[in-house]
Amino acid sequence: MTQTSDDRFFIDFPARIQRIQAGMAQRDIDLYLGSRLRTLSWTLDAFCPWRSYVVIPADGLPTAFTFVIDASRVGDDSWLGPDRVLGYAPMGGQDQISAISDLILSCLKGKKGIVGIESGMAPYLPEGNLTHYEYERFQAALPDCQLVNAHDLIDELSLIKEPGEIMRSREASRQVDIGHQAVREAIQNGGYHGMTETEIGGLAAYAMRKAGSEWEWSFTGGNEIASGYRTGLAGGACTPASRRLLQPGEPFMVDLHAMFRLCLGDHSHNYLLSPATPRQRWHAQNFVDLVQLTLDTYKPGMTPSSLADELLAFCEERNFAEYMVPGFEHGIGMMGDEWRIGMNDGPFPYWTNPEHVYQPNEMLICAMQYACSEENIGFRYENPILITETGCEALSKYPLGIEEV
Amino acid sequence: MPEYTYLSPEWAAEAHRRLKAELTPEKMKYVTSSMVTFYKNCPDGKDRALFYRFEEGVCSELTITVGEPPQAEFRITGDYDTFAKISRAELGSRAALMNGKLRLQGNMVKALSLSAVVDRMNKVLATIPAKY
Repeated sequence: MTQTSDDRFFIDFPARIQRIQAGMAQRDIDLYLGSRLRTLSWTLDAFCPWRSYVVIPADGLPTAFTFVIDASRVGDDSWLGPDRVLGYAPMGGQDQISAISDLILSCLKGKKGIVGIESGMAPYLPEGNLTHYEYERFQAALPDCQLVNAHDLIDELSLIKEPGEIMRSREASRQVDIGHQAVREAIQNGGYHGMTETEIGGLAAYAMRKAGSEWEWSFTGGNEIASGYRTGLAGGACTPASRRLLQPGEPFMVDLHAMFRLCLGDHSHNYLLSPATPRQRWHAQNFVDLVQLTLDTYKPGMTPSSLADELLAFCEERNFAEYMVPGFEHGIGMMGDEWRIGMNDGPFPYWTNPEHVYQPNEMLICAMQYACSEENIGFRYENPILITETGCEALSKYPLGIEEV
Repeated sequence: MPEYTYLSPEWAAEAHRRLKAELTPEKMKYVTSSMVTFYKNCPDGKDRALFYRFEEGVCSELTITVGEPPQAEFRITGDYDTFAKISRAELGSRAALMNGKLRLQGNMVKALSLSAVVDRMNKVLATIPAKY
């Protein structure tokens, strides 16, 4: 996609590549082979649903590889253009190992050097770390190269969001808010009667797409919709919409996902389908108060563990701690960057470091799950937030509340 | 009709003549590109490269060299026997690529868009009476 520097969503991708190359030079890495979805989005500005790779030489422009059936489209979308997005296919010399190894060798003096790769683990299935098989095959094809794990180079550079990335995220959140308005209009005044969770997911998707969203990006099922007992599943923070009919007297949770130029909107809003009981309203008030407190608490210098301590103390004080799933955030960035927060420097490798210190212009999803399974009720809040100098900005502007409809 | 030794200078001259005579720029989609087919293990034990250059759909150059192949936008590498089988229509070029008997280097997306014109070219070359 052609960008101009006066585009408010502009991201300087060549500058990103130069920052990666500077980091490579500091670490004596001669070439970087990226394979994670987050790396591909962050470097190419194109959605890569098929197994893809980006080869970043010590200087000059990178070259991307993706499955040939999608290569022209990726080349058309990416700032790199079609000549630097190549396809791989099951043909002699064109399989991914041969084609990429050939390019790597042509970039390295004497066909040897240190090649940074991306290895590790993730609870997120499409993370895209190099597989064991790929590692072995690349090592065999690059016999005089040393493959070193270097993903933290990208992780570090992508931690603080750039203005264009923030603007894209704001736009994705605006689209999500339009989806929520469409749901609200559809279900009000008894409109939800006869509607299923999948139908809600679809009408929200239609409204967001009309507003320019590219897709309901979440790998957890697109727009996640839950009603009744499904809202109260304690281990139920991901609820792909089911064919369940919306029922009066039940809670109803709408978790929408929009994508704008690879930046992600993710906001959950909750309802009580009338008639609501006083007990349901008590649960709802607990949750709304907790969310408000959370949004008021985020600021630079906080850590996930200090935040959790403060919020769980509030839950205890209000006597609903047993209903809170003890986690209050997950990561967010360009497509593929949607789970771990910060760097891989915590006590459990490849999980969020609970002592990660938030800094201005970091983004995360404020994410909370309230689940009372014995009463078949639960709520979810998600909203991308930007850490500011003094607090945080919630990117979705949809009013906080649990509405009775 | 004379019979040419495959990849000999005489075969190359005849190939060039036929490509120019039988393939119009329109049939060749006005393509501008270059390609090398690199034959390893020729009957005399040497490696040979057949280099083609097309400009606006016209075959402007066709040469055969011994040893390392010249630079080209696309390079297809394989054993002489494999190419010979393709020329005798005993083996399809796509099947040879898919089975890994031939190795293609170059932009795969562009190669896909050129596959039809390469097929046309190969059909013309297959009509040259040749001994292998």
